[in-house]
Amino acid sequence: MGKFIVSSSPHVANKRTVSGIMLEVLIALCPAVFVSVYVFGFYALFLEILSVGAAVGAECLFNLIMKKEQTYKDCSAMVTGLLLALNLPVSVPFYVPIIGSAFAIIFVKMLFGGIGKNFANPAIAGRIFLLLAWASFMTSFVEPINWDRGGAFKYFACILEGQNGLKDVAAITTATPLSALRSSVQYAKDLPIWKMFLGYIGGSLGETSALAVLIGGAYLIVRRIIDWRIPLTFIGTVALFALIYGAAKGNAGAFILPSLFGGGLFLGAFFMATDYATTPNSKWGLVVFAFGCGLITSLIRFFGNYPEGVSFAILLMNICTPLIDKAIHPRPFGAVKAKKGGAK
Amino acid sequence: MKLSFKRGVHPVGNKAISKDAALTDFPTPQEVSIPLSQHIGAPAALAVEVGSAVKAGTLIGKAASFVSANVFSSVSGVVKSIEKKRTAIGSFCDHVVIENDGLYEEETLPSLSELSSESIKNRVREAGIVGMGGATFPTHVKLSPKTPVDVLIINAAECEPYITCDYRLCLEKPREIMEGIGYLMTALGVSNAIVGMEDNKEDAIASLQAVAPENVRVCSLKTKYPQGAEKQLIFALTGRVVPEGALPSDVGAVVDNVHTAFAVYEAVALGKPSYMRAMTISGQACTHPGNFWVRNGVTYQAVAEFAGMLPETMKVISGGPMMGFAQADLLPSTGKGTSSILFLNDDEISDGDKPISACINCASCASHCPMHLMPMFIERAVEEEDALKAKGLHAMSCLECGCCSFVCPASRPLVQSMRRAKKLIREKGV
Repeated sequence: MGKFIVSSSPHVANKRTVSGIMLEVLIALCPAVFVSVYVFGFYALFLEILSVGAAVGAECLFNLIMKKEQTYKDCSAMVTGLLLALNLPVSVPFYVPIIGSAFAIIFVKMLFGGIGKNFANPAIAGRIFLLLAWASFMTSFVEPINWDRGGAFKYFACILEGQNGLKDVAAITTATPLSALRSSVQYAKDLPIWKMFLGYIGGSLGETSALAVLIGGAYLIVRRIIDWRIPLTFIGTVALFALIYGAAKGNAGAFILPSLFGGGLFLGAFFMATDYATTPNSKWGLVVFAFGCGLITSLIRFFGNYPEGVSFAILLMNICTPLIDKAIHPRPFGAVKAKKGGAK
Repeated sequence: MKLSFKRGVHPVGNKAISKDAALTDFPTPQEVSIPLSQHIGAPAALAVEVGSAVKAGTLIGKAASFVSANVFSSVSGVVKSIEKKRTAIGSFCDHVVIENDGLYEEETLPSLSELSSESIKNRVREAGIVGMGGATFPTHVKLSPKTPVDVLIINAAECEPYITCDYRLCLEKPREIMEGIGYLMTALGVSNAIVGMEDNKEDAIASLQAVAPENVRVCSLKTKYPQGAEKQLIFALTGRVVPEGALPSDVGAVVDNVHTAFAVYEAVALGKPSYMRAMTISGQACTHPGNFWVRNGVTYQAVAEFAGMLPETMKVISGGPMMGFAQADLLPSTGKGTSSILFLNDDEISDGDKPISACINCASCASHCPMHLMPMFIERAVEEEDALKAKGLHAMSCLECGCCSFVCPASRPLVQSMRRAKKLIREKGV
């Protein structure tokens, strides 16, 4: 008689695994990756591959040195690396994503205990680290390339020419719509909304096209990887504050669409603010979290010194997550409310 | 809108394996080994001795307290020995081993002179009837609620995958079930009953509806696990929420399994005590799946031989795959609560399918918990041995239904953690 397996119930499970979830996220990022290459050429893909490679490499190296079991198979480092790359302008030198990914993985994720234990979204923290360390690289946005005139390899050429590459790039630097958004109603009204939505405009690799991110985000919601409450509340809150700001400036509607489609709002709301480890575990907690993200984003955009506030907002709310989780729990089915002042 | 509860999961049903097999008699082996503890509560006290001649229906174990149940011989023959053996749920109790003479002579309870609440309650108690959905709580205790009750709920949800014995029973014995429901209503003094069944069994719903009297509603429920969990079922059918730590009777309801109603019919109308039941044999790792009338005390070994258990069998489960008990060997015997025995191969079970990793905080467990708990936090409280925290997270409300472990992408043994949490809370007495 063969031996039977004896284990606790349940004896069946669904098919979803950690690596499966991460692969779904990678699939969902494909439209954004595609648009980044279309808009900025193959150097964008090069940066993305470097960033993913550096993230996975850093995780393996850390586990090797710390004599821990390798964890690259869960694919979460790949997601971190790719998200970080999508947060970079195409004009950055090749070592920027490598350093950023390594920082994100080692200092934000692995030192806190690896997957599920990080206090902040590693890609967000990595981006902010790069923003502080290389402010000029990180805020130089360039115009979309022209494929007809060999533009596909333009930034490769810059790199090959040596350190002067960036100067060439800087020469074609363009302001992102957001940096001047708050200046006036007229400016906001003149923005090319359709271009912003489709993504054929200056910006970070993955942020330019709201449409591409929206497709990926919708995929994640349909596949039930992310909770729709986060993007809806986050984006809704930003829209609401744009409305209020606009109303104060005399034109309620002028700032709404530029606020939604400019900058990293969509990428942040669908892919960065939905990191499991750094978001609350209850449905209402998620709503509070996302509202906080939207509020802080709006405040920084309209009143702060930085043109973009999405990553700071998410980082700050990541830090608030344990507090939200402490304060908001779902009410258990049939839970008896604590009696105060006798029965009603 | 389908009647249902909130959250829960959708495991693969796998009911097609056995659903079309009509109930037939399971060939009882030469020897049966009947456990004296087939129910929740005190084990029955031995009422025969080695050498006693018994018939099918002879009392062999007498209820030892109010929360206990009589145990009857399932065959005619001679008591061969009394042995302490392990039951399918892993505890040890005395088993009465009876040599089966193959005649199946019956001993019945005297017919009832009148059908009153008291006489039916007494009969249910005499006949040793327990909850036959698998929980095995003595039915007579449920029939004596401390608070007024206005509705009887009959659980025919059969939400566990694979199991089809209740489905077959509803198809084949609808009149008998309705009669049993009538007796239960008389016993409880209620004028309404609701039968709840998942909508993947429309023909069985129709079968019951065809013979249901006006005051018995047969309702179709959304097919979702755990639709047959008592509190979830009451909510789905009546909208009532049983408070934490309270009983269904506190919201005016009593829930009994549909097979229990059938057993009540047999006891009241035929004088037949509880020693036989409908049971499903299923799983890809057996060649003869189906639904059978099985007498209590058949060893799993005999069931495996009859079922044609294949060498590829990786797991033998008593009950369903969500809440059933994995067996280490085939020594235990069937009882009143054995609704199914499954022989599962490697493809059917989840063991080893998913790599176990750290919790990634995806909150899937919380978003599927039918009790709306937060299993990942309870697991952490257990690891910190913080009984107070576990209690504050309502660990005691856990049904152990398995939804959390079912959905966990990191394959964490969450149900096991819930059990540890309950044990911790009891031990520390917080």
